Amino acid sequence: MALVDASEAALRLLFSGDPELWGIVAVSLSVSLRAMLLAMPIGIGIGYLLATVDFPGRRMLIVVTQGLLASPTVVVGLILYLLLSRQGVFGQLQLLFTQTAMVIGQVLIALPVLIAFSLAAIQSADPRARETAIALGAADARIAWTLLVEVRFALMAAVCSAFGRVVSEIGCSLMVGGNIAGVTRNIPTAIALETSKGEFAQGIALGIVLLLVALGINSAFAFFQGESRR
Amino acid sequence: MSLLRVSALAKSFGARRLFAIDELTLLAGASYVLTGENGSGKTTLLRIMAGLETPDGGVGHYRSRRFDWQPYPDWLRREVIYVHQQPYLFHTSIAQNIAYGLCARRIDRRRRESLVAGAIAWARLEHLLATPPQKLSGGERQRVALARAWVLAPAVLLLDEPTASLDAESRRQTIELLRGFGSARTTTVIACHDRDVIELPDVRRLDLAGGQIVV
Ligand SMILES: Nc1ncnc2c1ncn2[C@@H]1O[C@H](COP(=O)(O)OP(=O)(O)OP(=O)(O)O)[C@@H](O)[C@H]1O
Ligand SMILES: [Mg+2]
Repeated sequence: MALVDASEAALRLLFSGDPELWGIVAVSLSVSLRAMLLAMPIGIGIGYLLATVDFPGRRMLIVVTQGLLASPTVVVGLILYLLLSRQGVFGQLQLLFTQTAMVIGQVLIALPVLIAFSLAAIQSADPRARETAIALGAADARIAWTLLVEVRFALMAAVCSAFGRVVSEIGCSLMVGGNIAGVTRNIPTAIALETSKGEFAQGIALGIVLLLVALGINSAFAFFQGESRR
Repeated sequence: MSLLRVSALAKSFGARRLFAIDELTLLAGASYVLTGENGSGKTTLLRIMAGLETPDGGVGHYRSRRFDWQPYPDWLRREVIYVHQQPYLFHTSIAQNIAYGLCARRIDRRRRESLVAGAIAWARLEHLLATPPQKLSGGERQRVALARAWVLAPAVLLLDEPTASLDAESRRQTIELLRGFGSARTTTVIACHDRDVIELPDVRRLDLAGGQIVV
């Protein structure tokens, strides 16, 4: 009956506006949103260049990006940990176990998804879109902007997909965040570590929140994908 | 007066020589139809003149200014407008589509809006303004594309089979608009098989046959 009690307690936590619980949710959303804001222009920019400019090493970069799509987040975390730890190259910055470190990790996790999806989106755009922009006298920056606007729904789907990946990843957040209460403890690390200490109610409550977030993202993804095929 | 002159213009795809045109001169303000069998290279020729494709060799003269095809000069892009056989409309609005080239030329907003309104009236698109471009019929798309080109008052307008794959009524409306182009300061080249276009008054005929232009 422990599960029933814990579920009841979870609902109570959710609806009573428990500050600790919502603090954890806020850390998750804040870190992942900041990561996305940073990763979006970089990822979409690189995707655009890969789709439109032929430079040496382009094929290689595409293959590497596609390989990184499935990279285990804990390995990304491990590499970042080594770079940020006191003996690491960026040890001076003292970023280990901060939200900034988590943001950087999530940027690295989001980038391959954003690059690969926006590359595919731009490549699948009608070639006449680019030609029309050129023929009407647009300069490079306007051509780029026009193409991105033409495939905007596919790009939004890419953003949803990347956000879904970073908001639910645990490996990297745990490695470089350290699950510090009130600072770097986010939904996945709280569920994994606090539940094992007997905090069932909080784990269930956070699980429900994460499920709802994932559901929202996936609905948005499906919507954008549908729109992009019209 | 010669507006655009191309010399020794050759284009091959793989081993296949599509054409090698010794000389083609377009006179300022004249209208031309470009005829030729399927696959003779009409589309390719127009695309080369618009800078969307590069020829194997040749030189061009615009007025008295000499230019190379690769890279196609930016200043020439401002003078030459090409319209696809099946025009592409941006997924914005009809008015924004028509304004596109004006935005690219940094025409200020007030002037842009009045020019766009003029083009909408010219192509009789008023009743369609609320329709998303993707929902338009083939003939309506063609008219939006023509308005989008017309509003720029280009020196050279290259149209690829503007009346192909249109029903009778859309064809009639499109031909009506093509007549209007002839009166402007625009040199027009229309690739087509359409008798009614070929027989428009004051239209000169260019025939692409055997890899040469026969006047
Ligand atoms: N990118 C390309 N690669 C290879 N072959 C091409 C390419 N573009 C065109 N061709 C070939 O060149 C030939 C001429 O094509 P083009 O479209 O210019 O002909 P066209 O005169 O416009 O024909 P139509 O009357 O059917 O429109 C065709 O045989 C076509 O298959
Ligand atoms: Mg053709």
